[in-house]
Amino acid sequence: MDKQYKVQVKDLHKSYGENEVLKGIDLAVKPSEVVCMIGPSGSGKSTFLRCLNRLEVPNSGHIYIDGYDIADSKTDINLVRQNIGMVFQHFNLFPNMSVIDNITLAPVELKKMSKEEAQEAALHYLDIVGLKEKANVNPRTLSGGQKQRVAIARALAMKPDVMLFDEPTSALDPEMVGDVLGVMQDLAKEGMTMIVVTHEMGFAKRVADRVVFFHDGKIREDGTPEQIFEHPQHPDTQNFLNKVLNV
Amino acid sequence: MKKSWWQRTIISCAVMLMTTFAGLFVNKQVAHAEQTYTIGVVDTFAPFEIQNKQGTYTGKNPGIEPEMIRMIAKHEHFKYRYKIMSFNAILQALDSGQIDAGMGGMSVTDERKAKIDFSTSYYKDGIVMAVGKNSKITKMSQLKGKTVDVKSGAAGALYAESIKDKYGFKIKYFTTSNAMWNDVKSGNGAATFDDGPVLQYGIRNGMPLKIVTKQINATPIAIGFKKGQNKELQAKINDGIKWMQKTGRMQKLIDKYTKGSGTKTESSKDRTIFGLIKNNRKALLTGLWETIELTIIGSLCALAFGLVLGIMGIAEGKFWKGLSSTIIYIFRGIPMMVLAFFIYIGLPNLTGQKIPLFTAGVLTLMLDEGAYVGAIVRGGFEAVDVGQWEAARSLGLPYSKALVKVIAPQGLKIMVPSLVNQLIITLKDTSILSAIGVMELTQTGTVIIARNMEGFKMWLIIAVMYMIIITLLTWLSNYVQKRMEA
Repeated sequence: MDKQYKVQVKDLHKSYGENEVLKGIDLAVKPSEVVCMIGPSGSGKSTFLRCLNRLEVPNSGHIYIDGYDIADSKTDINLVRQNIGMVFQHFNLFPNMSVIDNITLAPVELKKMSKEEAQEAALHYLDIVGLKEKANVNPRTLSGGQKQRVAIARALAMKPDVMLFDEPTSALDPEMVGDVLGVMQDLAKEGMTMIVVTHEMGFAKRVADRVVFFHDGKIREDGTPEQIFEHPQHPDTQNFLNKVLNV
Repeated sequence: MKKSWWQRTIISCAVMLMTTFAGLFVNKQVAHAEQTYTIGVVDTFAPFEIQNKQGTYTGKNPGIEPEMIRMIAKHEHFKYRYKIMSFNAILQALDSGQIDAGMGGMSVTDERKAKIDFSTSYYKDGIVMAVGKNSKITKMSQLKGKTVDVKSGAAGALYAESIKDKYGFKIKYFTTSNAMWNDVKSGNGAATFDDGPVLQYGIRNGMPLKIVTKQINATPIAIGFKKGQNKELQAKINDGIKWMQKTGRMQKLIDKYTKGSGTKTESSKDRTIFGLIKNNRKALLTGLWETIELTIIGSLCALAFGLVLGIMGIAEGKFWKGLSSTIIYIFRGIPMMVLAFFIYIGLPNLTGQKIPLFTAGVLTLMLDEGAYVGAIVRGGFEAVDVGQWEAARSLGLPYSKALVKVIAPQGLKIMVPSLVNQLIITLKDTSILSAIGVMELTQTGTVIIARNMEGFKMWLIIAVMYMIIITLLTWLSNYVQKRMEA
């Protein structure tokens, strides 16, 4: 692998039975780069993202993150996952514990942090996402946007090198979207390496360093937001952007 | 894939569980086997066996055989312990070596001689035919096309089988005399073939039947031993019988139970529902407590076993999933009574180790109810949103930590109603263990009824007792569920 990249993917394939959903993906992400992945549903972008922390096991190819090959079954995936934060479409907060316990669980269990230390850190991250006063409530009582911000704080508490976002605003009411995207924009400014699957074209334009267009299990086009949104080269890209931008 | 720590934990848990159980029955038995004989004895089979209110044979009038053994043991200097079971179970337990000797007014037949050694016979017993008090049947020739009730394995059954083609009747089998006689009383069965003295005892105690034949096929009665084993005990008992016959003790004993004071039972004022409760209070409470004990210990074991099965059922590896499904399939597929017989009577044949009755009961409950709990646990864990797994695992939590910290607490909450329901089912299922002779509430009822013949009132009392306990349990579970939702 190349040292200059944080994440490097080589010729990644993934099939479900007969159905090949990733048909050879190559992608390299530099430190502090924000990459947005767009494309029609079923194009493989979410599957690709889930391969990056082995929630999906690829059939062949390589994924290098921090020098570990994620695709290699010998890699201790639990260790690598500690450095890869993941935010889901449906938040997946743990309803059997309070907000702050959601955040301190992994640091206490895995980083051998003391409870007090972890709670202090958790309050810091809750402050970052603007929800410090919600520390002791049950996640069930939060709105969708608040839940997603807690989920981001939970991922940040492990101090990851890379953050993966799987359609983080798709399940939110429109008025909640702004809060979550705002937090993500702040993260990007801080220099976090981020890979984001999204339908928020405005966010991709504004925040992304690079936009990657997925179509039919392949990367059709890869470039700066200007290149992709202003001067799309491939007819599939033009077609897709016409549909989503001119609603 | 390498075996992770939790897989190894499950294996060691299972091994520990098995060794504990093995140790439980091995140690208990070896310690006592040397000086004390285990004698299998039937539930009340008056006048041969008459249990007291506590369901034991320690009282003043325990019946011909227990009183005879009591006298012989004193004379011949040996100790013994009774195991109370059905007549069929005695025959099987003799064969499997669960007991050293068995008795229950056992007829000496050629068929039985092949598998059982008999003591000297001390009494001759004949079969009689009895019909309902108002029945018009007086001869066997009137039985054509009708149903005849017999007790399976008993001499009456053997006789009925030998003449059934000649007279053209059908046979229905029962395990207790009382149930059988009530069937004839109600007119379902046209007649019954039973031991003369036993039927006389029943009629004297208010069973509305009448005997219409003389004693047929008088056969010798004796005590049975496993073929070729326990020659020592056999010699002692033969010696004792000879001594009792020579000294006139035997005739006196038999007279006491067939003509004299040994067959007195409750007076009519004790036969009201309240009289019956008052008279049998201690026995009923002991039976109830045994039921509760079995339920609690059995449920705890079933919960432990079910948790292991459930956790195996959601494991990542195909092997554990398959093993869990197979175990659940097997124990859900076997009727509990068959499982109880298999464990209590079948297993000792295989291992040569006796199993204490209570342990056999708990083991049956653990395996049978545990299979259901396993399915409940697996279902509960599977009902937790898969996103919870993904979120926990993507934080870097290993499988086991994700299970314990995130999935299990949510899954257990989902399971609680089903688990409480299973607890109530377990309580009711303990009654099935009466088949192997566990003195729980149902068996206590059987024993009391065999003595006082008050089938309707006693079963009513027992049904109400079960309902009270189950109502209390239901209230408790509603309370717990409300607390959990709050």
